[in-house]
Amino acid sequence: MTRAETLSIALPALVVLALIIAPLGLDPYGYTLRILCLMLLFCAMGQAWNIVGGLANQISLGHAAYFGIGAYSSTILFGSFGLSPLIGVFVGMALAALFALVLSLPTLRLKGHYFALATLAAGEVARVVANSWTSLTGGPVGISVPYRPDAGFWALQFQTVLPNYYLFLGAMVLVSLVFWRVQTSAFGYRLRAIKENETAAEVIGVNTYRVKLHASLLSAVLTAMLGTLYAQFQFFFDPDTIFGVATISVKMALIVILGGAGRLYGPWIGAAVIIPLEEMANSYLGNSIAGLSQFAYGVLLIVVILLNPRGLISLFESLRDRLKRRQRA
Amino acid sequence: MEYLIILLQTLLDGIMIGGVYAVLAIGLSLVFGVMHIVNFAHAEFMMIGMFIGWACWHFLGLDPMLGAFIALAVTFGFGMVLQRVLIRPVLGAPQVAQIFLTVGMLFALENAALMIMGAEYRSVTTPYQTQSLTLFSHGAERVLVGMDKLYAFLMALLSGSAVWLFLNKTRFGAAMRATSQDPMAAKLMGVNTDLMYAVAFGLGVGTTAFGGSVVLPYITASPAVGSGYAVLMFTVVVLGGLGSVTGAIIGGIAVGIIQSFSALFMPIQLQNLALFVVFILVLALRPEGIVARRRS
Amino acid sequence: MSGQLLEVRNVTRRFGGLVANSNVAFTVAPGEIVGLIGPNGAGKTTLFNVLVGIYPPSSGEVIFDGKSIGGMKPHQIAKAGLTKTFQNVALFAETSVLDNVVTGGLVNRSLTDARRFAAECLERVGIGAIAGKKAGDLSFPERARVEVARALCTSPKLLLLDEVMAALTPAEMEEIIELVRSLRDEGMTFIVVEHHMKAVMKLCERLIVLNFGEMIADGTPQEIASNRKVLDAYLGANFTTQGEGH
Repeated sequence: MTRAETLSIALPALVVLALIIAPLGLDPYGYTLRILCLMLLFCAMGQAWNIVGGLANQISLGHAAYFGIGAYSSTILFGSFGLSPLIGVFVGMALAALFALVLSLPTLRLKGHYFALATLAAGEVARVVANSWTSLTGGPVGISVPYRPDAGFWALQFQTVLPNYYLFLGAMVLVSLVFWRVQTSAFGYRLRAIKENETAAEVIGVNTYRVKLHASLLSAVLTAMLGTLYAQFQFFFDPDTIFGVATISVKMALIVILGGAGRLYGPWIGAAVIIPLEEMANSYLGNSIAGLSQFAYGVLLIVVILLNPRGLISLFESLRDRLKRRQRA
Repeated sequence: MEYLIILLQTLLDGIMIGGVYAVLAIGLSLVFGVMHIVNFAHAEFMMIGMFIGWACWHFLGLDPMLGAFIALAVTFGFGMVLQRVLIRPVLGAPQVAQIFLTVGMLFALENAALMIMGAEYRSVTTPYQTQSLTLFSHGAERVLVGMDKLYAFLMALLSGSAVWLFLNKTRFGAAMRATSQDPMAAKLMGVNTDLMYAVAFGLGVGTTAFGGSVVLPYITASPAVGSGYAVLMFTVVVLGGLGSVTGAIIGGIAVGIIQSFSALFMPIQLQNLALFVVFILVLALRPEGIVARRRS
Repeated sequence: MSGQLLEVRNVTRRFGGLVANSNVAFTVAPGEIVGLIGPNGAGKTTLFNVLVGIYPPSSGEVIFDGKSIGGMKPHQIAKAGLTKTFQNVALFAETSVLDNVVTGGLVNRSLTDARRFAAECLERVGIGAIAGKKAGDLSFPERARVEVARALCTSPKLLLLDEVMAALTPAEMEEIIELVRSLRDEGMTFIVVEHHMKAVMKLCERLIVLNFGEMIADGTPQEIASNRKVLDAYLGANFTTQGEGH
């Protein structure tokens, strides 16, 4: 094994190890642990988006639809029929796949701006439906996950935040492994070919339609799974947050773009920067000034794009290259 | 006869609101046509126009129809600055960068408005809000048009024609069209393309802000109002062909008429849903046509 | 008409009112190296794009290897063994040279096999040394070679080469001509679009001439060189381009 290869396995292993140990010194009910939970969850969400948005450059602004479908499916099934979220999560994943499949018919041939616009509208479709189908979703007032701490793991509810933390860590590792597997397989080659030149990809034998469809199905299913986990963690949500453009769809994309699109560690870096930053802004500035955190968020997006559209990971890399060159000199 | 009256009334309502949609969308289309950039933040300038119109009315006692000119002037300048500082760096960049830059602008503008103006709704009172004009009557049945809607429509007509005349009948407009078709060739012919881009963006957001102010008598202003109209504006523009002013006018009136007829038998939520679905379908069916037209 | 690898039957391709190819008909036998020539705008690249499925023919039929491929998607046609290089070079610019070529190999190979075969293709085209470079950083002649290697990696029966020799030095051209010949000896078939007349005359045993979208001649280089219609087309074209220059 070369040094680079050793490093590429050792580095993520070390990070995961650190993440396993990290909560041991923290208050198991505490605020810090909750933030770490959200960080892991949003990292996983970013990674799911990264499969289509990063590898194939299909910029989806409607992933909240899959996230919300996952959250609502398991919550409604649990609330109305007592069905465990462990089963409900699969229903949500199946419905998200169905939604992705239907959406792919009009959108998969679209590129760039047009794809972004269409997916944005698709996310809004989901939000409007959730807001108006009150008998099913409870409408704009939102929906609660019934509290059954006695049911234990079957209800996917825990006495402390700690089990949730490890659940989210597991989810993050799982989605990252899926991403890594995609990235390094023939599938990944095909997705990158589509990103760079769709016509050329077709002419050398890439079935671009099928590849894009498979990627969006995979991404949708993973996102829905994370939606269920989010619902079980928050216990309450409403259509405007769970299907939100800013709160979910754009945030998923921002995490990836800030860190580095199409890169395994992109969402890791992005989530590690954004989520704590956002929580700090919220706790220090609070809601004293409505809109400030969202304003800061918009400004951050602009700054990231203007300064370095390749993401923070490329900053690290150019820094590393410079150090290497200096060592050699 | 009763049905005919309803039909005429619905048609008229559709045309009135459609004219306003057209003006809101012309700016978006112009920005795309000249710079080939889809401005996700564009609808926020409608909101800005509404607040400027409201402020002119509230502090200066100016009618929103006149305030619209101030809204146009202010946002024109603001738009030029934004173009110079934010849009210009991403003009040649990948579309991802363009998408997220304008999405970032959307959040920043909407929430800046929220911080400055607060979340409450703001409206104006004008003497003509309660007046209406009878266009046609048959016995007790009448076809009416509210004066507020009529004024807004006429103002929309005025600004739409002004933009069209500017683009098609002035030297500056010709230079701008040349820039949109082939920036390199335009540059070689001595056109200051950077200036063209800045003016196109300023004019684009300016017309939309103008449209925002003229609808104030019947739509209340709030920081989120722009987002509510974003998909509608995009639908109009994509329907008419991104980049075409005439297309935006036809698309605007078409959407206005469709909307006013669908209101006869659909609840408002379903109308919104239908709008999104139509938008996705229009996108799926149109872009190739639009691209082809742009090439020719 | 069995025994032919490619049969183009009265293919017409319109773009709106513009007719880019009109009633083009010819056949290519296995192992041939056919040159497709004609003045600028004669419809050569459009014909290539129709053959590989980027545009479906407006009318007419294309038979490749015994199958009708008119209207099939490019990836299906590539899988059947027909692909092309891009005149304006359409590499995956952010990707390494090796990975560009590997992607071509995936059409009928596993990733491991594609990697191995891609390395072979690179050696074959003489660019093994730049396998690790980013395709976007290459010079134009290097990129043209990567185009060829990527197309080769799909193991085509028929390869359409669109101006791969543009901007090459005479020595480099000679290398490409040798490469094409040796690949032909292994059973591959080629249609070549090239502006450099000497190279075309040297490489091809047969020439097809397009003018304003129509096929005006089909014969050996010697026949074509003395064909009245062809001379008119080129001379006429030259006069028009000169006229435009003023």
